[in-house]
Amino acid sequence: MILYQLKQISQVFGSRTVLNIDELVIEQGLIHGLLGPNGAGKTTLMNILGFLEAPATGQITFEGTAVDFSRRHLQQLRRQVVVVSQRPVMFTTTVYKNMAFGLKIRGFSSGERRRIIDESLELVGMRHMIAAQAHKLSGGETQRVVLARALALSPRVIICDEPTSSVDLESQQAIIKLLKQINEEKGISIILSSHDRFQTTALAHRTLFLDHGKLFNGAYENMFSVKTVGQEGQDTLFSLNDTVTLRLPMDIGFKKRILLDPWRIELLKNGAPHAPGNLLQGKVTQISQGKNSIRLVLESEIQLVLMLTPEQYHTHMPMIGSSVSVRISHNAVSVL
Amino acid sequence: MGFFTDSLLSALDLVWSMDRELVEIVTVSLKVSAGSTLLSACFGIPFGFLVSFNTFRGKRLLITCLNTMLAFPTVAIGLFVYAFISRRAILGVFDLLYTQEAIVIGQTILIFPVVATFTISSISQIDQGYRKTAMTLGANGWQTAAVIFREARFGIAAAVIAAFGRVISEVGISMMLGGNAKGFTRTITTAMALEYDKGEFVLAIALGIILISLSFSINILFHFVQGRGKE
Repeated sequence: MILYQLKQISQVFGSRTVLNIDELVIEQGLIHGLLGPNGAGKTTLMNILGFLEAPATGQITFEGTAVDFSRRHLQQLRRQVVVVSQRPVMFTTTVYKNMAFGLKIRGFSSGERRRIIDESLELVGMRHMIAAQAHKLSGGETQRVVLARALALSPRVIICDEPTSSVDLESQQAIIKLLKQINEEKGISIILSSHDRFQTTALAHRTLFLDHGKLFNGAYENMFSVKTVGQEGQDTLFSLNDTVTLRLPMDIGFKKRILLDPWRIELLKNGAPHAPGNLLQGKVTQISQGKNSIRLVLESEIQLVLMLTPEQYHTHMPMIGSSVSVRISHNAVSVL
Repeated sequence: MGFFTDSLLSALDLVWSMDRELVEIVTVSLKVSAGSTLLSACFGIPFGFLVSFNTFRGKRLLITCLNTMLAFPTVAIGLFVYAFISRRAILGVFDLLYTQEAIVIGQTILIFPVVATFTISSISQIDQGYRKTAMTLGANGWQTAAVIFREARFGIAAAVIAAFGRVISEVGISMMLGGNAKGFTRTITTAMALEYDKGEFVLAIALGIILISLSFSINILFHFVQGRGKE
């Protein structure tokens, strides 16, 4: 079932367009990961999805109904979505009162509030902190209480803006586990943004990539900064991350970044290092299996991710540590 | 030196013995200062809150004007209020001149910018995240405002304390609008000025001791409240 449907959404701050999305569909009950560099428009998109700000243009439907961004309607919508911001805010009072805030607004009795708060804190393993001063908790504890506070309100969606960016590794794992548990046990849809592509692709059912306010398919992998370094006949020479040179029959104008489609990078058989085209040699450092795909991480002058079908994998049978050659043709290149 | 020591000892004796005239002057001072502080808080806090909470054209200009008003001399405010409440003025029928109410009006005008600017500053320092958090947890406009107010409470309390500190020690408005009438409008500062004119230093020094003690206590309270806010 479709939860959100966004069409022709844009957001403008001053003269700068920070978001420009043609179409986006978010499905109910899934975890959606949103990847992208700083300033890509992730927080703006999350604020729009959380009904905290209205887009400049475009149309949004939530559970099949067109969203009316007038103040009167927004409050009802906000009660179905909770946004957990990058730097979570706890009111300067106890954990209990922080948790009770949203429940009180929704008219829960004192007894019900107590029961829900106990249950939610229990789930995140923070029940013993119920009387603690919330603003004095550590980063990891704060994130867990913030998730419990969101969970207590039984929303349809929890939107987490970089929930693991300011916590230690142990807390990161705990938070990721919690998000998965919340999604699986409670059926709450989760949208999370992150810089960590491995963490996000491991957790999310669907991954979206945002750059310069635009959505791209892929998982924020194989994205490189490029510059034009010369011309050879009809082709242009590009330098990737100042380390690898590609010869491509295209012009990227003033754009500074390209994405190499992991499905379109061709794995060559051993012994084909002199084949024509842009060749790259490297060692396989990671192999992981998805539902219908095999993901290879190749270390050469740059780190490259390749996606193979099981058939392709069995044809080549690359192993961890083995040397392989890949060919990057122009149809694998998207200019960002 | 002997003159100063004698005067100081006599002043301390006056304070210790709770001299009737001294108590009367201090009571009037506290009464008018508390009244004007209360009134300025009633107007200044909501005003500061509205200015800070909303975005509108001319907001920066308004804040600049308020900041300028912080430096208004008390005698200028005294003169301004006098122009409205003197017998022949527009509010003359209310017979306010040389009353405690007149002092309260003048002092309220004096400290309204203090309360308003401190409130604006306190609320501006509150992270936007509080507003966003309250909204995403389902709060309406009023409930969100209540959250912001609660988070800024120490800063706002400090604004009120600072305003009280300003009025308890002012002399221009009390003298011009109160008239320094014994038992009615004589405040600590106007009494000190009068006693100095008369060459009677004992009461002046006794009042000075009380005024400095009050200012010191207010400052301690101010720093305590500000410190709580930073915890």
